[in-house]
Amino acid sequence: MWRLASNWAAEALAVFAKDWRCEFRTRYALNTLALFAFTTLVVVSASLGPLGTSAARGASVLPVLLWLILLFAGAAGLPRSFVHEEETHTATALRLAATPSALFCGKLAYGLSLVWALELLVAPLFLAMVSLAVRSPGLFVLVLAAGGFGLAAGSTLIAAIIAQAQGRSTLFAVLAFPVLLPLLILVVELTRNAVAGAPAGMALHQLLLYDGTVTIFGLMLFPVVWNP
Amino acid sequence: MSPTDLRFSGVSRRFGHLAVLAGVSGEVSAGQALLVTGANGSGKSTLLRCLAGLLAPDSGEIECREEGRSLDAAERRRRVGMVAPDIAFYEELTVAENLAFFARLRRARPERPAELLERVGLPGDRMAGALSSGMRQRLRWVWALLHRPRLLLLDEPFQNLDRPGETVTRELLEEHLAAGEGLAVIANPSSLEVSRVAARLELGG
Repeated sequence: MWRLASNWAAEALAVFAKDWRCEFRTRYALNTLALFAFTTLVVVSASLGPLGTSAARGASVLPVLLWLILLFAGAAGLPRSFVHEEETHTATALRLAATPSALFCGKLAYGLSLVWALELLVAPLFLAMVSLAVRSPGLFVLVLAAGGFGLAAGSTLIAAIIAQAQGRSTLFAVLAFPVLLPLLILVVELTRNAVAGAPAGMALHQLLLYDGTVTIFGLMLFPVVWNP
Repeated sequence: MSPTDLRFSGVSRRFGHLAVLAGVSGEVSAGQALLVTGANGSGKSTLLRCLAGLLAPDSGEIECREEGRSLDAAERRRRVGMVAPDIAFYEELTVAENLAFFARLRRARPERPAELLERVGLPGDRMAGALSSGMRQRLRWVWALLHRPRLLLLDEPFQNLDRPGETVTRELLEEHLAAGEGLAVIANPSSLEVSRVAARLELGG
């Protein structure tokens, strides 16, 4: 049992390492995410910076904008993990060599590290550029971490579904809406609470439940999606 | 029945309205090869993909046994070694990095890629994207044999190979069959001179 788990973990780690090695050689996802995030960040801060909105309105609106920036930046780069495998025809070799669950977790770990790196870059810049004060920084960091996990898990699953389809861009948007909408509602509410210094309440439990549900659902669904 | 064999009966597969395979049957046992021939579009590659577990047949049965135990499609996928034109590698990685990655997935010995690369004469430090078509075909052979599979599925196995490349890959195939536990299904062989041929299956007739 231990040996099986060890082999599985080694497979997932190999997928994660391979994706990052390829990414460092091409920098496609990193450049795409960073460019999109930085561009929208500048637009938002210029339009709704400290002079553009009242503090009360800002505390209500700015968390929404933060998560929209993260969502669309993630959507620009995360689906590529599986789509690229199909486009370059490496997916056949992966189907023959990899355990589906290990492959999914390796890809999820890669997507998660991308999202967390994006948040590490975007969140502090956002707070500084719009002069948004966060009264509960611990809750804010927790929301970013758990929300980023949900974003990565949902995007990885959707990417696996759309990778073999035509019209991927449209399909991603169509599938992302029902999957990621609950996540967005929760993280926006929690971010507002963090800004206001209010307690997390049930929303944090719901967010963690969402993360667990999407991950488990992805692990169950992925083998069916991956191997026709 | 040998401890390792492959049997398929009544295998059919359609793509939309196009019936590519219609009731194909065959079998091959350890130490033997099955040659699959036929015109373009007769379903040779489709048959191999079904045998590999990459495609589910619409009807029919595929039974692959190793050490007396029947393998399901997922197990077949993990255990087969396959050489096919649509198998590609990561162009951003070197040959050695590609094989190290797949060796970890296949749980092959870490030194196995280097052994095979030396055998087929491929440089490990060359980027996979910089390989010629013949070198890619040699790499496919190395990839297929990384985990010492019992069942080899070979689709156009000698395509793009020069004479030395064809010689060494034929040697690898002969060694695989001569070991006693390996079996092979070969589609589109450039030459039908393959020893230990148990049967020939003509598709599209």
